[in-house]
This record gives sequence, C-alpha cells and structure tokens, in this order.
Amino acid sequence: MPMLDIKNLTLEIDTGQGMVKALDKVNLTVNSGEIRALVGESGSGKSLIVSAISGALPGQWRLTADRLSWKGESLLSMTAEERREVMRRDIAVVFQNPVTALDPSATLGEQLEEGIPDEFVEGSWFWQRKQHRKKIAVSTVHKVGIKYHKHYLSAYPHQVPTDICQKFMIAMALVSQPKLLIADDPTRGMETTTKTQILKLFTRLNQTKSLSILFVSHDLLAIASMSHTMTVLYAGQTVESGKMKHLRKRPLHPYTKALLDSAPSFRTNLPPKSTLPTLEGTIPPLQHMPIGCRLGPRCPRAQRDCVVTPVVRRIHDHTYNCHFPLHMEKL
Amino acid sequence: MITILTRYLTLFVLTLLVLAALSFSLAYLFPGDVLTNLSGITPQNEIQREALARQYKLDQGYFFQFIHYIGQLLSGNWGYSFISGLPLRDEIGIAMPATIELSTYAMLIAIVIGIPVGYYAGMKGYTTADHTINSISLFSYSFPVYWLALVFILVFSLELGIAPLSGRISLLFDIPNVTGFILIDTLLADGIDRGLAFRDALHHMVLPTLAIAIITTAAMIRLTRRSVIDVLSRPYITAARSRGLSRWQIFSRHILRNALLPILPLMAIQITTLITNAMIVETLFSWPGIGNWLIQAIYQRDYPALRIGMLAVSTLVITLTILIDLFNRLIDPSREKYERGTV
Repeated sequence: MPMLDIKNLTLEIDTGQGMVKALDKVNLTVNSGEIRALVGESGSGKSLIVSAISGALPGQWRLTADRLSWKGESLLSMTAEERREVMRRDIAVVFQNPVTALDPSATLGEQLEEGIPDEFVEGSWFWQRKQHRKKIAVSTVHKVGIKYHKHYLSAYPHQVPTDICQKFMIAMALVSQPKLLIADDPTRGMETTTKTQILKLFTRLNQTKSLSILFVSHDLLAIASMSHTMTVLYAGQTVESGKMKHLRKRPLHPYTKALLDSAPSFRTNLPPKSTLPTLEGTIPPLQHMPIGCRLGPRCPRAQRDCVVTPVVRRIHDHTYNCHFPLHMEKL
Repeated sequence: MITILTRYLTLFVLTLLVLAALSFSLAYLFPGDVLTNLSGITPQNEIQREALARQYKLDQGYFFQFIHYIGQLLSGNWGYSFISGLPLRDEIGIAMPATIELSTYAMLIAIVIGIPVGYYAGMKGYTTADHTINSISLFSYSFPVYWLALVFILVFSLELGIAPLSGRISLLFDIPNVTGFILIDTLLADGIDRGLAFRDALHHMVLPTLAIAIITTAAMIRLTRRSVIDVLSRPYITAARSRGLSRWQIFSRHILRNALLPILPLMAIQITTLITNAMIVETLFSWPGIGNWLIQAIYQRDYPALRIGMLAVSTLVITLTILIDLFNRLIDPSREKYERGTV
C-alpha cells in the first residue's frame, strides 16, 4: 500500500482572466521505502505538487483531488491540527530556495532546534533538555556533512554560503526523523562533490532507515543513479510513471523519450559534435495551455485525437497518458 | 560594535554642526541688526554696541564668529529673548520638556495600542476584522490634527464641559519646574495636595494627548499590519508551517521579530510628524510647549528666539532619529556591519 497516494490532483489558479488549471489531474504515489523521482522542466508544476502536499498553498487557489492521502488518511479532510501533526512527525520538506526559506533574524541553530519533536528530548529540567536539544542538533548537522558546527549553529542565514544553507534545510527536515522526505531540488547550486555527498546521504538513509523520498529535480543524472521509480510531469499533467529501469529502457511517452534523449550521458551512440535532439518550441505559459494533451503542439507523434485529454493507461505498474505511445509493438 | 557607535557619533556631530551653521546664518538672514539677532540685546549706545560686537567677535571673519558661536552654544549662553528679556536657555528649558512630555505620552499610547492591534489585523489579514481595523485606522489617519483638536475642544470642553479648555494645570497649583514633566513635578512639589494636583494635570493632558495619539496610533496600526502581512507571505513562514510548528510558535519565533524590524525605521519617520502635530496641538490648547512658544516668537518677531528654537527642535528630531536607527542596527542581525548610518 502506498504511503502517499495522490489521484487526480487538480489545482486551479486565478490568473485574472479566469481560472487556469496549473495542475491537471496529476497522479503520484510514493510507496514505503522507495525513492521516487519527480521530473519535469521548470514551470511544469513540480514545486506546486510539493506545496500542495505540505499544505503551503495560498488560500485563494482551488485544490481538488480524488485522493490526497497519507497512510490511508485523507490530508484534505483532516483538521488543521491533525495535518500539523503529520507534517511535524511524518513528512518533511526541503524547499527549493534555501536562503529565503530560512528566517533571517534567527540563528541557524535556533531554527534547527525548534524542529526537534519534544518526544526526542530527554531530561526533566529545562537545562538538561536544552543540552540534549543542542546535542541532537550537532549530530544532525554532522550527519549532513557540516563540520564546523560551532561556527554555523550560531550564524545567521545571510552569513552562510548557499550550499551550507541547503544542507541546513536538509538537516532541519531530517531532525524530526520523518517517514517521507520531500526534497524539492535539494542539490541545486551545489558543486559536484557536495552533491554526491548529499545524494549518498539520501541513499543511505533510504537503505538503513527505510526513509521514503520524493526527489524533485531536473538533474536526470542524479535521479537515474538513485531512484527506484520515476514520474514525469509536463505542463501540469502526469505524462508517464513507472519503474526507473523500464522508463529508461523503453519510454512509452514521446515526452519521456525526448527528455531522456536530451541528457547526453544516457546516450552511448551519440556521435561527436552532433546536435542534441530536442523538442521544438518551449513549455507553454500558464495562460495559453493547449487543450487535450498539453504536449500536443510540440509532440512529433501528435494526431487529431490529441485534442482529447488522454486517459491513464496501465501496463503492469507502468502508467502513461498518451494516445499514440512508442514501443508498443515490442510489448 | 565600537565601529557602529563611532559611525553614528560622527554622523550625529556632523549633522549638528550643519544645523548650528544654519542657525548661525539665520542671524544674518533675518531682517534687522546682526548683533541684535545674535545676542537678543538691543545696544543702547555706541560704546555698548562695540563691547557687544567684540564679545560676539563680530569684528573677525565669519569662520571665527561661527567657532565662537558654537562655543557660546555649548557653554549655555544662547542669547536673550527680545520680548521677555529672559535668557533663551531658561525659556526653552521650560517649553521643550512640555512638548517632549506630550509627544512621549502620545507615542506610548500609539505603541501600546497601535502595535498589538496592527499585529492582530495583520495576522487576520484580509478578513472582516482586518478590514474593519484597517478602515477605522485609515479614517482616523486622515483627520487633520488641528481640526481634530478643535472638535475635541468644541465637544468635550465647550458642549459637555468635562475637560479643561487650555493650559497644563489649574492656576491654583504652584508647581516648581524640576524635571519639566508636569506629572512628575506635581508629585515632587511641596506644600500642595499632590494627588489633587496630579489628577488635575492628568485632566488637562487628556485632550491634547488624545488628539495627537489618535493619528499616530492609526499610522502605527497601518505600518504594523503591512509589515506583518509582508512577513506572512515570506517563504520561511511557509517552511516553518511545513515543519509542523504550532501557530503560536510561528508567531512568537518567526513573525514577531521579523515584522518589528522594518517598523522601527518607519517609526523614526513618524516622530517628525508626531512632534509637528504636538506643536500644532499645543497652540490650540495653549500648552506651554515649544510649538506654542515658537508661534509666539513668530508673532512678535523675536528673531533670537526663532534662531534658537529652530536649532532646539531640529536637534531633538535628529537625536531621536539617529537613536532609533542605531537601536535598529544593534538588534537587526541581517544588517551589514559596514552599512553607513543615515539620518
């Protein structure tokens, strides 16, 4: 049974010229103990999904879903208090921009310590509890690969380099020992060595603590090496979803294929100095979303039927939304 | 820390020097005799004139005159009033505290009421409660202060007769000027019924204080509300919510401080308005403060008094502005250590 189960999540935003569906019937599941990658171009709605799960959307946006549940309990029908409890203990989120997601007027140490659930803190007197909090904070900071905890715990966010801020965000997410970690582009702005370090940390936590991770990124190389399953998003629609190795070997949706082809490291037979294959055009702006399959105008295989939104089709645990999928003859 | 203090001290001293230069040049710019404008004494004959000119170094260049002028200011010799013939220092010593007292109470009311109400409105952003508070504050912010004071006099003093019309305290009480703050002085005075005097002073103070405080409070509510709404939309509040912190934790740890920080510099701007308002209200209530005193000086063309009055009021404003900015700098960790001080 999936831990996080999202079915037909639709998010409507008022742009001033009527409501626009920023997310259109998105499906996403995260099973216990798996690393799921959520991939898509910038503006495809990845971060909106993260906000929808964490309940951080502005009130005037309309969110509807057939299912948005955590361990079988609907997040949408919960009381605010219950939802807060889920967010406090079970789900942790690493937001995209670490510098703005940290309070500029509090030290990093204070912000890290306030996230520690009271149940973890031992000691009956406040000074003992304070000391223990500090200990937990220091060990968490070491875990994410920050060495000089003395310096950084008492520093303010603006005094600290961006990658350290990002690591602090990860530390804050991990300090409550969550069951699901939602990481929204956690390795952005990091150099390769730090990136590898963070990805290794995620993999290790996944293996030893069976932490489920929803890894949101457009860094295909990083995703391919660590995640088990992948969901591809295009312009607010789920395009294809399935096991990583199936998707890589035999993508069914033309967009998935284009996405994988555009990453040179996946191509073994790429001749030198050849142009990389890309789709014509750009991702459409929110006000001018095409009807039906939103990839339609850019899709090399588009036909008249594509003006009707394709329904979800399923082959084993591989789902895709396309009228004219690739590789069908081989299946 | 020491660098910051030095920066602000330099800024303060330089600004005061510019103000002193301005006040000095007024002696030349005002109509009439320079010597009379500077000293406040009209020489009776040539011998006295020459003696005074020598005393004020008018026989030397402008620069030395200015240096001497600053020396005189620092030693407390501010000249004499044309009209009363009293030393200006003593007159300002009585008038200035009266204004400061009025402004202080108005500011206290504005802070005690305005900031919490502003926080409440901001936290309830865009609901009926918020809209109600916002429109009331906008409404009262748009009153001209002299009109409001006149309406108060008309309603409370003349129609209802529940508040005294003018002055600081009933003439029955003889209060010696110790601190300059009437409420404290009544408690220190000897030989009178202190409780009665205190109540009488309070009674006199209500209307002028309210007239100023209403406008300042409205401004404070609006500043605070805006700042809180601004902070609420920041990503770190979203992030704090997603960590499952309670509403109270988010408010006390993240919103309170971050919303207060941008209010402080704006408060410094409000102080100028506050003192101007206080000076207008004083005139209407015959409150013996600096505003009333300056108006009288203008009516009577008391040039030495105007020269010193301008210097005294601007020094007060500059001092408060710089102090608030310094305080803000000291408590705001995100402000750069090497940022320059500003007035």
